[in-house]
Amino acid sequence: MSGVAAAPGSGTGEFHHFLVGFGRGAAGAMLFGMPMLMTMELWHLGFYIERYRLLLLLIVNIPLLVILADRIGFERTSTWREAFRDAAIAYGLGIVMSATILVLLGDIKLHMPFSEMLGKTAIQSVPASIGALLGRSQLGGQAGGNGDSDKDDPKGEEADQGKEGNAVPNELSISYSRELFLMAVGALFLSLNVAPTEEIILIAYKMTPWHALATIVISIAIMHGFVYAVAFKGTHEMPGETPRWHAFFRFTLPGYLVAMLISLYVLWTFGRLDDSAPMQMLISAIVLSFPGAIGAAAARLIL
Amino acid sequence: MTITAHGRHTETHEPHWIEWATGMISALVVLAMIAWVGWEALRKDALPPEFSIAVTRRTPVEGGYRVEFDITNKATKTAAAVVVRGEILDGGDMIEDADVTFDYVPAESNASGAILFSQDPGTRKVRVRAIGYTDP
Repeated sequence: MSGVAAAPGSGTGEFHHFLVGFGRGAAGAMLFGMPMLMTMELWHLGFYIERYRLLLLLIVNIPLLVILADRIGFERTSTWREAFRDAAIAYGLGIVMSATILVLLGDIKLHMPFSEMLGKTAIQSVPASIGALLGRSQLGGQAGGNGDSDKDDPKGEEADQGKEGNAVPNELSISYSRELFLMAVGALFLSLNVAPTEEIILIAYKMTPWHALATIVISIAIMHGFVYAVAFKGTHEMPGETPRWHAFFRFTLPGYLVAMLISLYVLWTFGRLDDSAPMQMLISAIVLSFPGAIGAAAARLIL
Repeated sequence: MTITAHGRHTETHEPHWIEWATGMISALVVLAMIAWVGWEALRKDALPPEFSIAVTRRTPVEGGYRVEFDITNKATKTAAAVVVRGEILDGGDMIEDADVTFDYVPAESNASGAILFSQDPGTRKVRVRAIGYTDP
């Protein structure tokens, strides 16, 4: 935790540290944004998406990044001010990286109308900015320098608490709403990846209601299994005396509902629900919730 | 609430009532969804696509004439690559025809499009009909 805030004395070290964080953010933006930057449907959406839907997506992304930065920002002690700063940097990085790569790929050219360039960059900046934020925290990992590794280092923890009174205790209580929020971020991320492609609606059209029913059951089962049954690192455990179905009702089902709502929102944003019958909308959302549920479950483990 | 310690997450034994409330509401919504899809699965035979087309607007445009229309698929199966042909008819003779292809016309849903003719049909009859589709 000897980050920007904690080490005011070392000017060059601080700058170096900032650059490293910046580089990680850029790497994260590329890593997480690349699949979408190379998706043709998303380029097209950039110019035909209705502007109020794009605007809403861009605005929704701001609180999302801020809360995410507060939760997983690479300074575990981050205040809201630092969370805002991190979120702003991540959004900025997302925009710059998206624009740069779109230019590199020849998808943005000088003769294009300005609104097309803007739309293409804007729509890509949302996943890229989430990636930048995740890159800063997740790629940081145990690499040292920023002290993220102090989870497993009781000495470092004590020292940090000595330096800063508001340090987060090692035992971290994640509130229920935060848990749902993380699932929403995970679901949003994976949904954004696959929703723009035509395949999602094509799959929905190919499916019969029986397929849809099976997909609901399997999505929920995978979601639960991912977090509780299969022992990944960071797997959630229930205290011995709690029946297993408790977690199913308290976390998995709400998580699936969150994934469904995110799917509906993303489909609506990309105009995939327009003029469709309610049943078609529902089946499209069920299809998209399949990856969404996996994203939500993964977010609980990773973040 | 989830306790994270030493990289492990443990759910607390005594959850807040709101966690149970959210869980119950979610369970109800998911069950309702399953019931709806299930009902739909039992109720409906897959009927082949059936189209109805309504012309909504006719406007002169640069170099031609635009006929906008809505196409509705009343059946429970989605049609892909739906070709819609517009014809200007003078008595029994076809004066001009033009095609447009819809990627999809989903089941029980609308899609809209337009056909561009090179001439103003005037008082002559305009016929717009679907001439083919594929299964998605």
